[in-house]
Amino acid sequence: MEFAVFAERADEIESTSADLDIVSLVRDLFRVSAEDLDTVARFVQGRVVPAHESTTLDIGPSLCYEAIARAAGHNVSADDVESRVAAVGDVGDVAAEYDFGGQQGLGAFGDGGGSADLTVGEVESELRDLAAAAGSGSQDRKLDLLFGLFNRCEPAEARYLARIVLSEMRIGVGEGTVRDAITEAFDVPLRAVERALQVTNDYGLVATVARDDGESGLDDLRLEVGRPVQAMLAQAGTVTDAVDSWESVAVETKYDGARVQVHYDGDAVSLYSRNMEDVTDPLPEIVAFVEESLAVPAILDGEVVAVDDAGDPLPFQEVLRRFRRKHDVAKTKEEVEVQLWAFDCLHADGEDLLDTPLEDRHDRLTEILDSGVSALAVTDDADEVAEVEAEALDAGHEGIMLKDPDSTYSPGRRGKEWLKRKPDVETLDCVVTGAEWGEGRRAEFLGTFELSVGAGPDSFETIGKVATGITDEQLADLTDLLEPHVLAEDGKDVTIDPAVVFEVGYEEIQTSPTYSSGYALRFPRYLDVRDDKDPESADTLERVERLADGE
Amino acid sequence: MFNAIVSADTLRATLDSVSVLVDECKIHLTDEGIEIRAVDPANVGMVDLRLDAAAFESYETDGGIIGVNLSRLEEFAGMADAGQLIQLELDEETRKLHVQIDGLEGTLALIDPDSIRQEPDLPDLDLPATVVLEGKDIDRAVTAADMVSDHIALGVETDDEVFYVDAEGDTDDVHFELGRDDLIDLVAGDAHSLFSLDYLKDMNKAIPKDAEIEMELGEEFPVKMHFDIAEGDGTVTYMLAPRIQSD
Repeated sequence: MEFAVFAERADEIESTSADLDIVSLVRDLFRVSAEDLDTVARFVQGRVVPAHESTTLDIGPSLCYEAIARAAGHNVSADDVESRVAAVGDVGDVAAEYDFGGQQGLGAFGDGGGSADLTVGEVESELRDLAAAAGSGSQDRKLDLLFGLFNRCEPAEARYLARIVLSEMRIGVGEGTVRDAITEAFDVPLRAVERALQVTNDYGLVATVARDDGESGLDDLRLEVGRPVQAMLAQAGTVTDAVDSWESVAVETKYDGARVQVHYDGDAVSLYSRNMEDVTDPLPEIVAFVEESLAVPAILDGEVVAVDDAGDPLPFQEVLRRFRRKHDVAKTKEEVEVQLWAFDCLHADGEDLLDTPLEDRHDRLTEILDSGVSALAVTDDADEVAEVEAEALDAGHEGIMLKDPDSTYSPGRRGKEWLKRKPDVETLDCVVTGAEWGEGRRAEFLGTFELSVGAGPDSFETIGKVATGITDEQLADLTDLLEPHVLAEDGKDVTIDPAVVFEVGYEEIQTSPTYSSGYALRFPRYLDVRDDKDPESADTLERVERLADGE
Repeated sequence: MFNAIVSADTLRATLDSVSVLVDECKIHLTDEGIEIRAVDPANVGMVDLRLDAAAFESYETDGGIIGVNLSRLEEFAGMADAGQLIQLELDEETRKLHVQIDGLEGTLALIDPDSIRQEPDLPDLDLPATVVLEGKDIDRAVTAADMVSDHIALGVETDDEVFYVDAEGDTDDVHFELGRDDLIDLVAGDAHSLFSLDYLKDMNKAIPKDAEIEMELGEEFPVKMHFDIAEGDGTVTYMLAPRIQSD
């Protein structure tokens, strides 16, 4: 396909506003794209390479302006182009203002005759050459290549070349448009196209397969080790949501790290970030770990966490330092230690597991990975969820993820199957009126604190117990703080004189016969001691009633 | 098989004259010496280079083509002092070039020649005017033009037997001319062509200031510039396509 034809179609699409009309135009374009279909399917989205390739053009606006200036001819500078873009607002429109082609090619003087019209295939291959340029002098080489392309452009072509190069296509074509256009163009089911896109992450490939091999061809597309797919994402949600929606809940630690997709072909390991950027080189110890611990070729989903010398997790920013580090990896490696926690398995030993239930995928993960598997607890008991959360927080992690144990893995989807436990909706300042001595290594500490709210002068009514959100260190401090106020002990149960106020987070307030206030906090979590408050200024039953009514 | 010893100066002059246009090139190894032909990505500027076996201290090959990253090889060559000798030896097994400079040894990974841009056919041009001048005069013309413009016109006035250079900027302009007496030689013929200074500046960097440059010109035709390197045991030809003169 000639690039001029592509530009003409793109222009038509750009001047159309109704979504359905745009889909029809893209469909028609796909039908006439012939051998350039895969490239066209990307160009309409302003992409040169498939999303799963780590290749980037790495062309900033200034390089593009420079190339336009050079092609534009006599005494046009990059500054001139830049100020036109500032005035006009779109690099494509500015590129289309100039009269390119002033520079002749040597080909025009040889025996081969004049240079032929630019084709979509040529633009693609030149831009790929450009992306491949690296090292010293590569900016000059990119400039030369880009100048060469602009020099061969008619104004309409220049408009879209400039936009493709800067990934600002702006013709109203999104991923959904391309998906629908493929479906319509080649008469294949939308579901098959969606699935094929999920496993390949390659619009060009899916369009070509849909055309050449139809629905069965699409169904045959599989995950491929070394070709990253989009990560499945989570919504914010509550334990209540999870318990109410599913028969049981799969609970796992939510790590404060960076998402990685691990690809192992039995020989080499590749690591990809959530944006499908190749992060293999910055993380050599994860590569070594996977080589050593993973038994078969596989694709895993996981989180890379930075840890301190004691093995405790460090904030997310520390991992980012490693991700961004291109040079001196060895030096940063010494500064920031990272480890992998794998929590899902998309592919194992030749078998795609996307349609396999989560619990079974996790079993498979445990079979093939020696260590570094994030534990998955499946339960229908909300208290057990709270326990897992307490452990996760205690170990210094961010919190918990709640997942439907029967759910499949849907790349790129932010569905209701995965929930990250939403931070507490509200907080209450409650008076501590009781506690229990702990067990095991916590035997010397008070834990499981009884919470109460004010119900009149010197009168308190219980509303719940809090045991989660407290580290060992904090337990020791709280025990020191509360022990002087102990009124009575009965076995492990302790009665405490109202004196200390806790700030407590919770998901919701329910009516409950269990506590004397008639209400209970669901999933209460210890946040802090309110040193500045005495029991009289803590929250009251009246407020609790108002909050409960409000919900 | 390729095993050669060459002076650092000669190797650097060779590499520099190609690297002003491209980053990677194919080097053809023949009994007579090495040959390089390359065109820039926009197909506007071309270099055609030959370095005879006589330019080397020793030279052995049974032929072949190697692909080279020029800036990497230039860095290696840069490690040698001006008069030092550099030994280049191809390791057929690893497809690496073994480089030795006195006690310094290194290996340079080669590039698959098939991945390098196709070499152009050399257009066969019969240009009416030939000007022979010193490299420093080209430098002067290019530097002057660069003060005011990004384009440069090169031409010959047949009647006056004058070679001239014109550069027009938005506000300022430059005119520079050399008569028969200022030139080493002149075959007069009507010629006038406009060129991009970007390319000519790059080529100028590799043109020795004290060398004799034979420049061939035509009416809106490419310019060809020939000069010798390695004391006559090598030649370089540049060819640059013109810009269309809009006015």
